[in-house]
Amino acid sequence: MPALPDSFRPLTRDFAQDPYPAYAALRDLGAPVHFPDFDIWLVGRFADVTRVVQDKTLVRDAGHFMSPQERAAQQRAENFHDMPFHQRFIQTNMLESDGEMHDRLRRFVFREFTPAFVARQRGMIEGFVDSLLNGLEDRQEIDFIEDFAAHIPGHVIGRVLGVPDEDCPQLRLWSERVVSYFDIDRTAEKKARAEQAVAEFHSYLEGLKEARRRAPGSDVMTSLMAALDAGGISEDEMMATCMLILMAGHGSTIDVLGTGMHALLTHPEQMARLRAEPGLMQTGIQEMFRHESPLPFFHRYVTEPCEIAGQRFERGARIGVLYGCANRDPAAFDAPERFDLGRSPNRHLAFGGGAHFCLGNHLARLDMEVIFTKLLARYSRIELVEPPEYKTGLSVRGVKALKIKLQA
Amino acid sequence: MITVTFNHADGRQTRVQGKPGQSLMQLAVASGINEILAECGGSLACGTCHCHLAPEWMGRLPAPQGGEAMMIECVENPDEFSRLSCQVVLEPALDGLVVNLPAAQF
Repeated sequence: MPALPDSFRPLTRDFAQDPYPAYAALRDLGAPVHFPDFDIWLVGRFADVTRVVQDKTLVRDAGHFMSPQERAAQQRAENFHDMPFHQRFIQTNMLESDGEMHDRLRRFVFREFTPAFVARQRGMIEGFVDSLLNGLEDRQEIDFIEDFAAHIPGHVIGRVLGVPDEDCPQLRLWSERVVSYFDIDRTAEKKARAEQAVAEFHSYLEGLKEARRRAPGSDVMTSLMAALDAGGISEDEMMATCMLILMAGHGSTIDVLGTGMHALLTHPEQMARLRAEPGLMQTGIQEMFRHESPLPFFHRYVTEPCEIAGQRFERGARIGVLYGCANRDPAAFDAPERFDLGRSPNRHLAFGGGAHFCLGNHLARLDMEVIFTKLLARYSRIELVEPPEYKTGLSVRGVKALKIKLQA
Repeated sequence: MITVTFNHADGRQTRVQGKPGQSLMQLAVASGINEILAECGGSLACGTCHCHLAPEWMGRLPAPQGGEAMMIECVENPDEFSRLSCQVVLEPALDGLVVNLPAAQF
């Protein structure tokens, strides 16, 4: 059994600043490796990650093979216990379900995230991005994240769901508090903040539901209420789906906007290429997702004995798939370290794969397309002020802040 | 072997050979047919392996069912010959299959 590479220390600053040497060392082992901090087997090669996410016997919901007592023991082991709102609305949702339940929940919202539906949001996104940039007109130096990018995905997903614009900043705070508790450093303080955030989130969505009951809209909340009224989903499932959509629509898009901007700034020849050939925007955005995958780590449970990359696994084993590692696998991508906006094909795994393939992928890509198109059109020069600090942890990849200079 | 002809939107043709049991999507991806994105890998979760079967082939396969039929309503420019290639499993009776590719999936 291979040992974990010394460089694989996901809570350190060194790993945060550049996880890719550690990922390469992990890939080179050629076999799954046990990560004791999280009691999980890590898989990092592209072919192996693809195999895991495509296999229907590898699931998200431990309830497929655990008794209620075993499940409760596992919740305690993971510090996911004694948080009733979190257990009800975050630990039980579309992402944490499989098979019929997952497919049923996904069916009610799938249509709203297809390219044709998402394209209807383009004008709204353009208008919002313009208004943010207008507000920055007298600034030569900004934090690309806090002053700009962080406001956009939440506003957009809020509109898609049916949340009034003025409430979107609060939703972002709740989302961040919930999401930060998924990472491997689950402190008591983070746990309390996550639970409180879900309780407040739930109370808010109750109010929104009543508002939509009085005045239906053309939004996801209204669609879900129709499904609720038709008996297709339960009240809790509806709330959990709303929270999942809001959370999924926030942080990861902000993160990939930050790392994508940073990659353009550190590869000026690629930024110049994009200015000269705006038609590269679509492949360019795909490359931003591949090069720095914003959600680099997910897991699945083994429900039937199986073999993955030569290693035998029994029921109950937990497999961690490292998308950020797989997306730099030289067996799947030519010169994987190279940031190449024209890369095609680019069959990356940043949106995951299999039944849980990212529902919001088209919306995230549209956000990015509008944002980078507007930025490059408005500013003839964009420069990096100082190298950014990256967030620590295994579950996210993003810059904490990104100081840039803008020149019209 | 099962011969499949992919007609690209720009008029090019790619003729490849697949194996029984392989999905049309798997054959396309393995053959470098870049129009078939197949982003979810064949789990009916993305709708990016959409193609149009040549009209004369449509009746020789069962019609799209359930999840596939629902997803076909959501792809770009669907028509009565639309299929998700991940749901078409190659078999000897499909030898000679002709597939018209969309210019783009979205």
